[in-house]
Amino acid sequence: MTQPPAPEPVPDPVPPQQPTFDGPPMSLEEELAASRAEPEPKPSIETINESLKDGLNRCPKCGSTDVQLRGSTGMLVCLFCRNEWQEERVEEQFGLGEGIDELEGTVIATGAKDIAADAVDLLTFKCEACGAEVVVNTAHAMNARCHWCRHTLNVNQQIPNGAVPDAVLPFKLTKEEAVEKIRDFASKRRLFAHRRFKREFVPENVLGVYLPYLVIDARAESEYWGMGEEETRRWTETTGSGDNKRTVTYYAADVFQVRRQVSFTVDDLTVEGSSERSDFDGKSTNNIINTILPFDTKNAVQWNSSYLVGFNSEKRDLNVDQLTPVLENQLLSIGRAQVQPSLGKFDRGVRWEQERVDVGGSRWVSMYLPVWLYSYRQESNGILHYIAVNARTGETMGSIPVSQPKLILAAFTVGTFLEGIAGWFLVAAS
Amino acid sequence: MIIDTIQVVTHLLPDLVQASDEGGLAWLLAAGPAGAAATYWGFYRYYRNTDKSHDFEHDTIIDAQPVQGGEEKVDHISRTRDSDIDGDNSGKYRQRVRRVS
Repeated sequence: MTQPPAPEPVPDPVPPQQPTFDGPPMSLEEELAASRAEPEPKPSIETINESLKDGLNRCPKCGSTDVQLRGSTGMLVCLFCRNEWQEERVEEQFGLGEGIDELEGTVIATGAKDIAADAVDLLTFKCEACGAEVVVNTAHAMNARCHWCRHTLNVNQQIPNGAVPDAVLPFKLTKEEAVEKIRDFASKRRLFAHRRFKREFVPENVLGVYLPYLVIDARAESEYWGMGEEETRRWTETTGSGDNKRTVTYYAADVFQVRRQVSFTVDDLTVEGSSERSDFDGKSTNNIINTILPFDTKNAVQWNSSYLVGFNSEKRDLNVDQLTPVLENQLLSIGRAQVQPSLGKFDRGVRWEQERVDVGGSRWVSMYLPVWLYSYRQESNGILHYIAVNARTGETMGSIPVSQPKLILAAFTVGTFLEGIAGWFLVAAS
Repeated sequence: MIIDTIQVVTHLLPDLVQASDEGGLAWLLAAGPAGAAATYWGFYRYYRNTDKSHDFEHDTIIDAQPVQGGEEKVDHISRTRDSDIDGDNSGKYRQRVRRVS
């Protein structure tokens, strides 16, 4: 006897979705205008120094424009009346050290905003003292002297070409101290240095340069998946006898699927703001300049171009969007370093296979950081070698061109010597 | 090219040393080339510092919460001559693996 087929289950009736009422419908013109509207602006920090303007910036005591940085104190000094003063630290002024664990979205300070494609580097000032027109190329300098009345003119407004950052960290090491450090660094590497480099080495040619960086606070969570192995047993097996005797070590291990996750904040992570300087392809020695990081960025002060008098500067040409992948990469690396101590159980190692980073919030501030830079172009291969000194901490790193024939000769000599000892030992043992 | 050659020699060195387990003292013959390569590479790095970069993983102010996660045994290797896992990258923090979202 066959049973009648069970009736098909009847799905519960789904109530028709009601459109949400969000006000009266807009006209076609209003819809088009809304679609063309600028996207919601990102939150930002206003870092413009309201007390300064483009042009003449006078000593608050005597009114002279002959103002520059005094390296030994890190303060601005008036060369006329010796009055000393300084701008405020941005850390306290804009609360940059606070609330990192509550950051949401991307917060960009006004000096780190996107560079406008049509922004020009050349600025023309009308000297307020004599009326002459003076041109400043902001790609390399932020000050100029009026060629008629000798007053110093400054660029202080945040022009959208990346030349005016939010903050500047003044030079601390003097040129003499930098020359000494560079000389020390090179003198330890004389033996195999390229002959022409030694002949042309003049450390007094070192240049003080403010290089552009983006200093980032971020809140992130990263997660990693992979395989780990724990050794459970180790033993040796011997086969053969006499001259054919062989001993081999074997291992047994448990294999684990491993997952690790860590939430963390980073304070003042520093990345290069210049595309030329952030190119680590091996044809340049940019890694040398990268190595002298970190700087004491907590001591950076609000922008005042008088800090740049007598120094070169390189303008920023990378935007936050372009540097976001760099930030994510560095956060992933930091997360990997953070989870490393939790892997002690896996004495045969861990192979990470997948990773994820979620940047909950980030805050970007542009800064000029001080570097004493000695550069040397090696004619034979076109490599530009740097010796760089962190003008705050004194950390020194460099690339010295090597003499290949000398180095190969040394390697050959050592190799021959070791081979001789090995040969003698084998003969003696046989 | 010289650096490539040295890297190849350095790469082969562990195999030669491992061969010592099986072949008596023959591996001593590798001491000359290995010493030459190490001398060249050591001085080259000391002068050019091509391997140096900012150690941001440790030189940045980081405030981390306790590490979460777990592990699950999925297999057992009962006999192998490898002393460590293939492709151990736990200490190579900057070596990127597949990103998931």
